[in-house]
Amino acid sequence: MIKPDNPVTLPTQAPTGPHFSIPLRFRDRRRVTILLTLMVLSVITLSTLPLMMPTDFKLSEAVVSFLENIKIMFLQPSLTNTSFMSLLIALGQSILLAFLTTLIGSVIAFFFALASTRRLAPTALILGIQSFMAVIRAIPTVLWVLIYSVVFGLGANAAVIGITFHSVAYLTKVYADSMDELSPDIIDTMQAMGLKKGAIIRQAVIPYLIPSYLSWTFIRFEINFADAIAVGAAAGAGGIGYQLFMSSSFYFNFHEVGVMVYLIMAFAIVLEVISYRLRMMTNSH
Amino acid sequence: MLTVKHLAKSYDGEKKSLTDVSFSVRPGEVTVIIGPSGAGKTTILRSINQLIRDDDGEILFDSTDMRQLNRSQLRRARTRIGMIFQNYNLIEPLTAIENVLHGCLGTKSNLAGMFSIYSADEKQEALKLLEKVGLRDFAYQQCRNLSGGQEQRVGIARALMQHPKIILCDEPIASLDPKSTITVMDILRNLATAEGISVLINLHQVDIARHYADHVIGINNGQVVFDDATSALTDVAVTNIYRKDANQEGSLMYEL
Ligand SMILES: Nc1ncnc2c1ncn2[C@@H]1O[C@H](COP(=O)(O)OP(=O)(O)O)[C@@H](O)[C@H]1O
Ligand SMILES: [Mg+2]
Repeated sequence: MIKPDNPVTLPTQAPTGPHFSIPLRFRDRRRVTILLTLMVLSVITLSTLPLMMPTDFKLSEAVVSFLENIKIMFLQPSLTNTSFMSLLIALGQSILLAFLTTLIGSVIAFFFALASTRRLAPTALILGIQSFMAVIRAIPTVLWVLIYSVVFGLGANAAVIGITFHSVAYLTKVYADSMDELSPDIIDTMQAMGLKKGAIIRQAVIPYLIPSYLSWTFIRFEINFADAIAVGAAAGAGGIGYQLFMSSSFYFNFHEVGVMVYLIMAFAIVLEVISYRLRMMTNSH
Repeated sequence: MLTVKHLAKSYDGEKKSLTDVSFSVRPGEVTVIIGPSGAGKTTILRSINQLIRDDDGEILFDSTDMRQLNRSQLRRARTRIGMIFQNYNLIEPLTAIENVLHGCLGTKSNLAGMFSIYSADEKQEALKLLEKVGLRDFAYQQCRNLSGGQEQRVGIARALMQHPKIILCDEPIASLDPKSTITVMDILRNLATAEGISVLINLHQVDIARHYADHVIGINNGQVVFDDATSALTDVAVTNIYRKDANQEGSLMYEL
């Protein structure tokens, strides 16, 4: 075996001296800046809290009426204006809205991801697509729905397109990130056998991608469900969000709000169970 | 079969990883490239099928220069060059037989690749190749459940599915235990002897080279320092191949 010219000599003794004087982290400017920012923000928050209170505000009364409303919502849920069936249908509408937008979004995003992963695409294309998607992502989904409702009018069309739009931008990013994690050796190996690009994507990229594809798409479905409720209220897109908006802000019927909140919670639990099963399935592969 | 002439490559435009490398590989022979880490063995191998674009020289495979081919010509030429890797590079979530069948996709349409369409003959052949490397019973196992030695044998079956004229092996046994090492080397040796395939292997272990090679090429610091029949590989020659030049970085010797 050949030895290097200057073998590294290790110190034979541990450095002496008090241990506490040795910092565990490098003291850099970033940490100081973060700390200062947090302190300034705390001071501002504390000083503005009293100013925010309305003059005729009585804390004790407010707390009592808040607890009263909570009690009505969660302990006395009941329906007066709407039937349970119509609420179920409204919930179904919201679920379908979330499902449709996630499905369309994930298909489109898959192709954008292929065109913007380090493994397969040229740098210029990656930069172009990823920065375009970043801009779309920066604007919240609800705002996109409102923007599209200028074109299509308030309602379901604007909701579908707006939510899909943001889903594509989100999923493109996470799919492309998952593809980036694929070892470059895998692509090299397929190219070394003379495979064409379509075959490489189908035979090498997709098999590795499936678990993260499923879990990210599912997370996006949960996000889209929440957005579908918000959009139902904000853009009149129908569904349980619209009912929630009417009961809470129009009829002030907190008994009904309670029923809807329980319905949404029940569906959230179902989602959680499904996502757990899904994780188990993909992990056991 | 394969002749490399005056091959040169620098990754950064300054430091030369290969300077004027020339050698040739004959059909039915096992040719082993040995040399210290960082000598340029991988660079040579990956230049042959142009996974690395080299800077200068000639790579004559079946009397066409691999360096002069356009994209689709290169793709077609690659379908007859098998490659084996230290890390096997199988598609781990897929089964052994699916991985072996990838070997014939290079000569099939893109559609066949996208929908995994294989003829009955091709599937039959894949099973036969798995049998040949002793893995018939593992055909429907996911590759991530196989041992290293088994994965490497699937890799060999995949390369054979290409009907290769030459198989390039980059440290095929570096991650294997002694028993799997012998299995894999025996299979490679047999491919050359029994089927007339050229086998070109990068190796670390001189004793393995002595045992299995017909011909040895010694590389040091990007240059050929030994090119002769295995019988000429004396201890003095080995010391010369692994000598450390003054202009070489010492740290390279400790790379894996
Ligand atoms: N991708 C790369 N980028 C830059 N330098 C590289 C790259 N690959 C290899 N090298 C350099 O080229 C030289 C030869 O490397 P390599 O062919 O991998 O040697 P070996 O396979 O014999 O260990 C080394 O000095 C290495 O540092
Ligand atoms: Mg190497």
